[in-house]
Amino acid sequence: MSQTVPVRFADVDVGHELCTLTLTLSGEQVKRYAVVARMPGGRFMGDDDARKEGLPGQIVPGNLSMALFSRLIAESFPGATLKRLGATFRGLVRPGYALLIRGVVTEKHSSDHGDFIECDLILESAEGDRWVTGTATVRLA
Amino acid sequence: MAIEFDRSIIGSEFDRTVFDPVTAEEAREYAAASTESSAAEGVTSPTFVVRLRGRRFMPANLPDLGRMGFDAGKDIEFGVAVRVGDVLTAVSTVHDIYEKTGRSGTMKFLVLRTTVTNQRAEQVAVIDQKMMFR
Amino acid sequence: MILDLHTHSEASEDSRAPVETYLKWLQRKRDVLPIDGIVLTEHRQWNPAVDYRGLEDEYGLLILRGAEVETDYGHVLIYGVNDDIARRFDFANVRLPAQELIPAVARMGGIALPCHPGRPTIGLCEHYESKPPLDGVIAVEALNGGSRRGENERVQAVIDTYGYKAFGGSDSHLVSFIGICATEFDDEIRNVEGLVDRLRHGRYRPVDFRDRLKQGA
Repeated sequence: MSQTVPVRFADVDVGHELCTLTLTLSGEQVKRYAVVARMPGGRFMGDDDARKEGLPGQIVPGNLSMALFSRLIAESFPGATLKRLGATFRGLVRPGYALLIRGVVTEKHSSDHGDFIECDLILESAEGDRWVTGTATVRLA
Repeated sequence: MAIEFDRSIIGSEFDRTVFDPVTAEEAREYAAASTESSAAEGVTSPTFVVRLRGRRFMPANLPDLGRMGFDAGKDIEFGVAVRVGDVLTAVSTVHDIYEKTGRSGTMKFLVLRTTVTNQRAEQVAVIDQKMMFR
Repeated sequence: MILDLHTHSEASEDSRAPVETYLKWLQRKRDVLPIDGIVLTEHRQWNPAVDYRGLEDEYGLLILRGAEVETDYGHVLIYGVNDDIARRFDFANVRLPAQELIPAVARMGGIALPCHPGRPTIGLCEHYESKPPLDGVIAVEALNGGSRRGENERVQAVIDTYGYKAFGGSDSHLVSFIGICATEFDDEIRNVEGLVDRLRHGRYRPVDFRDRLKQGA
């Protein structure tokens, strides 16, 4: 369940689980994102165009997976600032399949620039196949 | 042995693009399509910067890496927020080229680094994009 | 003694895990991950100058180093890398000749063991379907924490057929995956020479902590 109030640095510990996003992207959502994000490749537009490229069907752009990671951070830590976000796209993410997006705090540190946490991020299928993995550096409010 | 290519292309700038001012409609459309929220009114959502595609997407003097494959990953370091009205400049360089093998066979990777600044020369983002070819 | 024999730090281009953060995580998760040490097996590289003894002392965990290289029979973990081995084989070459690599590494004091053998293209099992088996293989990574469903399971047939020993490793590229799979040794290991010796002559088995982690979360 997403947070509604800022999470205090003192209340976050290593091992703190982020809230979990469970969603299924539709083909239309993926197409809309690809257009708005200026990624008009056929593989993102629909199954037929994707198969012409030798793919099993329409795929989700990696950039959208990153946006979902960003959303996970925002919902887990309201008011926080994303300072770094990295992702490795390990497999094809497809619309129409349930996705689980989760994360965990792996480090926390303070400096003159603020209080920061490091997170591991996972986007996986309902069966536990990890399609996208990533990390984030977040400055808490 | 490692891929043979002219290593002088590493770090060389191949594109510099100045974009039209960011509009409120672009910011809203992107936030809605990405399901990301923005930090505040008039500020774009964080991954808005990935939609900045320069005039030249690839360097001209790239070695033959094979048929274009997939986006293999990205690392974004965020600076100041992007606001509606900002005029962004993106400068792209070749950061690395290497080869490795995986489940789908032998792959060559090209890493492009794009540094984005606003009209006040403040750094907005540094984006390392890893592209896989085979 | 339990060691995670297959890990990647941010020195590997697709890992995002600092070594010290791995150690902090293992300290914190000690109750569900009883790991005594890790072996950093970075992709396609060997840096002789790296020294983690300070971190070993600080965190009370053994930190050894090896490498993961890529061959014509899939990926291979090399333990006991030394100057001779690093000079003889270009670790950046993704087509190293496995049949030459394995005995040569053994002659030069190390040990080369196939990893994630059940994985398509870069695992030993698939290569054995069309090529002669390799001479000199002592053990294979029967349990790899990064493998997909079914990939670990197909390794047993190769182990049974060729009499290989089995070990485990997390193949971690993220902090929170360190130690999820590992190898339990009957004997204590204090350094990389000891690791090479025990892998060759000792008794050990893969261990899986993933269920414990889920329960302990």
